[in-house]
Amino acid sequence: MKEFSKLLILFLLVSSFSNNAIANSVYGPFPITLQGYTGDKTNSVKYTGQMARHILHDSLKSIVKTGDVEKMMAYYNGEEKLQILAPKSKDDFVIKQTMVSDVGSGNLSGKMYKGAIPGWGNLTGPEVIEHMINKAGEVSGGFDPDTGFDYTQLISKFAMGAVFYNQAANNYLGKKMEIGQKPNSKPYKEGAYYTGKEHSWDEAFGYWGSAAHGLSLTAEQSYNVTKRKDMASADYNSDGVVDLYNEYTFAHAYYASSYDKGGKTNYLATINQAFIDGRKIIADANGRNLNFDERTKLLNQRDIIRDNWQKVIAESVFKYAGSTYKDIVALETIIKANGDTSDAFRTYAKHWGELKGFALALQCGPENLGETAVKLNRMMGLGPVLLNASQVVGIDSNGNFIKDQAQDWNEFKLHMLKIQKLMVDEFGVIAKSKDQLSEMTALAGSMGNSDSAEND
Amino acid sequence: MEIFFDYLSNISDQFIDPKKRIFFIYILISILIASLWFIFIKKLTLLESLRTIFDKKIFFSKSAKSDYKIFFINQLIMMLTSPFLVAQLTIATALYYYFHTLDWLNSGMFNQLPVNYVILLFTVFQFVLDDFSKFIIHRWMHKWPILWPLHKVHHSASVLTPMTVFRTHPIEGIIFSLRSSFTQAISISSFIFLFGSSVDLYTILGVNIFVFLFNIFGSNLRHSHIGIRYWRWLEHILISPAQHQLHHSIAVKHYDKNFGSTLAIWDWIFGSLHHSVEFETLKLGINNNKYEKNYDLKYLYFQPINEINDYIVSKLKKVKNIIMKPFLKGKYLNES
Repeated sequence: MKEFSKLLILFLLVSSFSNNAIANSVYGPFPITLQGYTGDKTNSVKYTGQMARHILHDSLKSIVKTGDVEKMMAYYNGEEKLQILAPKSKDDFVIKQTMVSDVGSGNLSGKMYKGAIPGWGNLTGPEVIEHMINKAGEVSGGFDPDTGFDYTQLISKFAMGAVFYNQAANNYLGKKMEIGQKPNSKPYKEGAYYTGKEHSWDEAFGYWGSAAHGLSLTAEQSYNVTKRKDMASADYNSDGVVDLYNEYTFAHAYYASSYDKGGKTNYLATINQAFIDGRKIIADANGRNLNFDERTKLLNQRDIIRDNWQKVIAESVFKYAGSTYKDIVALETIIKANGDTSDAFRTYAKHWGELKGFALALQCGPENLGETAVKLNRMMGLGPVLLNASQVVGIDSNGNFIKDQAQDWNEFKLHMLKIQKLMVDEFGVIAKSKDQLSEMTALAGSMGNSDSAEND
Repeated sequence: MEIFFDYLSNISDQFIDPKKRIFFIYILISILIASLWFIFIKKLTLLESLRTIFDKKIFFSKSAKSDYKIFFINQLIMMLTSPFLVAQLTIATALYYYFHTLDWLNSGMFNQLPVNYVILLFTVFQFVLDDFSKFIIHRWMHKWPILWPLHKVHHSASVLTPMTVFRTHPIEGIIFSLRSSFTQAISISSFIFLFGSSVDLYTILGVNIFVFLFNIFGSNLRHSHIGIRYWRWLEHILISPAQHQLHHSIAVKHYDKNFGSTLAIWDWIFGSLHHSVEFETLKLGINNNKYEKNYDLKYLYFQPINEINDYIVSKLKKVKNIIMKPFLKGKYLNES
């Protein structure tokens, strides 16, 4: 009998540990800590508005090609009664919600980065998006062959930075983490059941875009959730549907998964862990203001999140600079053989658009990138180099594009390489997808240093 | 402690890495070739051949012993200095960027060529460029008075063993290492730039096939007392072991001959080719080997630095004299 009770205790210990392990890998639920709260809520986590904005972004992206400015603006402004256009159910990947309001309410327009965007005619963040949306309305399929602008990519990649990264890094993890801002001893706003710091942290997590159980998924699984190919990984509560509020991978969390699955990086797990660890520090303060020690620990987690998030965007700039380089080489080969360049040019414009969008996004963070931003914007140009050796170089006061003689193709290619180098030097990117120097690195590695220092 | 283990692994790598000259298989094959040479060409018995090959007087000579010591010291020096030397990839990247600024070149301009063709071209190019750069640097080591004191360390060996390849002044080792980085950088960057991703090497055990063949065909016999000679026509193309042994000869008529590493054509083109002679007629070393110091490590490591210093000082004095001459003259004129 004694043996049995020992075994039972051991079993209980082990199972409580493993429960903890599972609990540790999910963002929420976290208890109500607000002092004096008398309602019946038991979970203080809430970031519905952020997930609604992710859906607005995905939906907006999906309709740029229609050129319907009114509709695009509806999603941008988060109007009422909007259908979810993306992500939608696919095969056995059944999505729970069909209306944006099923998840939450919010808009993109009010949350845009308000500063000037030097890489797009020095317009302000909201002006840039509206300019792009209007221009997309003037062309067919969201693509302008005269300028090489792929508005689907430009709008989507820029918005992810100007809304999600900006709001999380500058606002919720920046301003609102300061002493005296959104104190933990008070509700976030009047009548709320969560504290100021709890909700600020939660909103930042929402903008990050990971499923709440993202830490329990591999990078591959998290990636396949966005691709709507892995129902089992997505459906954490096993209710047969994917809840876009907390079971899906959006935006930069998706890009982090895409790099991490290469095995060299661990952005997704690092950031998710820091979000969970930070949230625990807040929960443990139990509704009082954080003391110096707790605050220091929390800001450490905040720095991990911001640094790694910035790296994820820099990895994307790195990747698409590489893709653009490859596309130019392919274009040159076709031109030399007098072939049809239309498809290759379209691919090139798409990748350049992604490069541009991510580069603009990178400049919406808390850090003034200074010279790095200037170099980045100049090297990639306001627009891509076109086949007739011209390039968009500015935007006039009416919002029209100004074209001029383009950079030389070789120079433009070199700039793509230098952009990749800039991302390594300034942000320390590691995944280095589409590294244009990787072939050289591999060849150099395989040759090694033979009997170099000896006398023949 | 970590440095110590790195050091040990560096040493053992020399014997177990096919990229290294004294990889044990190459040594065994060299012994086999030497035996065949003695048995079939020199008509010795197997026992006599082996006795000649493993000559105690050679391998335990003062000269050979200093080779061994230098080997162990240089491995440590190179291990500590190599992280500070410019890496081949850094140079390759700079060159790769530079090629983009040339109007008449386009990246990937030949990327349509068949893969096999590109690999063959790269393998040959890399081997030829590497061999030529070895030749030209070696020539400079002999011809430039500022470099000769360094290279003299290698030539101070009065007997040759496969370990004599390591009898190199560390500064010379650094020069050789940079040479290797530059040549690799040139071939890697230009080929990747022009031919794209299909560039690769034909290798055996990870080694350029030509380098492998060179090593298999007894590269270790160059520094040995086994004077294998080739046919005269072949000695115009490939340097035979005996031709390199002649390069180490004391005789004035053999000075500055046979700088080549694998290919003899460079010597042929530059007029420094000399056909081999019977090994027994050669005396090896420098200065008639009259200096016992040639086997003293302190002397071998520091004397070249003194000599270079003296050389620079004497040159500076000359320059000073040339510059000051008109002033001095004027001074005397005024006085008169």
